[in-house]
Amino acid sequence: MQRWKRTLALPVTMVAIALGFLIALQAQTQKNVSAAEQISEQRMSQMKAVLINSQEQNAQLQKEHQELSARLDVARKQVGTDPQLLVHLKQLQMLDGTQAVEGPGILISIDDRSNKVAFPLNTNDIATMINILKLAGAEAISINDQRVVGSTAIVLSGNSTILVNQVPVNRSEGVPYEVSAIGDQATLMDYFSELEAVTLKQRGMTVSIARKSLRVPSFKGSYTFKQAKHFDSQES
Amino acid sequence: MHLDKKERSLLGLSTILLGFLFVLLIKAQGVAGSQVTFQETAVPSLIKTEQENQQLSIENAKIQEELVKYAQGQSASSLLNQQVQEAMMNAGLVELVGPGVQITLDDSTRVATGDEDQNKYYIHEEYIREILNALWNGGAEAVAINGQRVTTHTEVFCGGSFIQINGTRQMPPYVIGAIGDSHNLSAALKFYGWDRLGEFQEQYGITRKLEVLDNIITPAGKLKEYRYAEPVKEGT
Repeated sequence: MQRWKRTLALPVTMVAIALGFLIALQAQTQKNVSAAEQISEQRMSQMKAVLINSQEQNAQLQKEHQELSARLDVARKQVGTDPQLLVHLKQLQMLDGTQAVEGPGILISIDDRSNKVAFPLNTNDIATMINILKLAGAEAISINDQRVVGSTAIVLSGNSTILVNQVPVNRSEGVPYEVSAIGDQATLMDYFSELEAVTLKQRGMTVSIARKSLRVPSFKGSYTFKQAKHFDSQES
Repeated sequence: MHLDKKERSLLGLSTILLGFLFVLLIKAQGVAGSQVTFQETAVPSLIKTEQENQQLSIENAKIQEELVKYAQGQSASSLLNQQVQEAMMNAGLVELVGPGVQITLDDSTRVATGDEDQNKYYIHEEYIREILNALWNGGAEAVAINGQRVTTHTEVFCGGSFIQINGTRQMPPYVIGAIGDSHNLSAALKFYGWDRLGEFQEQYGITRKLEVLDNIITPAGKLKEYRYAEPVKEGT
């Protein structure tokens, strides 16, 4: 010890103090972190439980819905509903989107997660895509299982959550965006690949279009008319 | 610099300690980071399922109501007629009148000078689509552009000197009428892109006008004949 230079004593003491301080701090942080970890884990498991619960409920409701719809069909037949009028009703409900439909069409999958993509797919891109599909005569369109109807608004909520029909469509896994369109496959394919797919591909996204027999879900929102009235009833 | 054995071992020990501390720190940081992403993705899917559940239960309640009516022996045709009327209203096949807002957009009367882009002096399909999107998001009940009712299949597509809407060629000025709560509609417009159009108005002289009117008339839309889409048979 005596051989240590005196000049070294001060720096070494300082370093020792600093080190001690650091260790104490680290120990403290470690404690905090493990506490935070625990809380976070708890929250996560709660969230998972809520999510699973809600998904179970969803499956249950869907089953109920199918059963009820089947019963409704039977009831309608029993009371002798005019089949022609029923067809007309179905046609109207296809137009307002409350009827789920199936038929030939195209399924567009867009992946914008690659790091080549500077600007991921935004609400405007989706609106443009849907517009082109409408131009190509699509009879039913859905994006990530949200049916597109006349009153569908596509807006951004916060930084990255895209709302379609007021429902977030962002996916946490799998293909980020899937657009289904029922209609003439050749026309849909032509219009989409020439007018929109090229631009998206240039921006680095992976776009694949497949001809498929599709099912487009029904519009789950509601129509409300509070201000609007029939025009003729007003005028008389 | 010459260090003796003791000093060297001290230095070595402190270095190891420091390294250990760093590793701990990084680990703690990593744990905190990874948790956030899961939560971010779990929340939207939770909201989505919850909303879907709500919509499904409303739909189920509706069907149940109808079944009860059938069971009570209510006339099948009157019930169906009522549903057809409702569906026609939803689908936009009824001429409506009500309070709301009227927006007028027109190309600039000025001509680009020098290097300026003449395109900036025109009204583009994007502007109209953006306004429609904002109006629907603001809770519009019915919207029409230049006498063309906006329905599920309405496209707004620029075809050069005109804009194609519902398969018809429309020229400026574009008059958009929307029935709904005028406060909500104006607020939604101001939130989405209205100010940007204001800048274009100042810079390039395009017309952008918003009026709150008591009697907006939206004509009836057309029914579409479906050749590809078919209603999904329920209960299968």
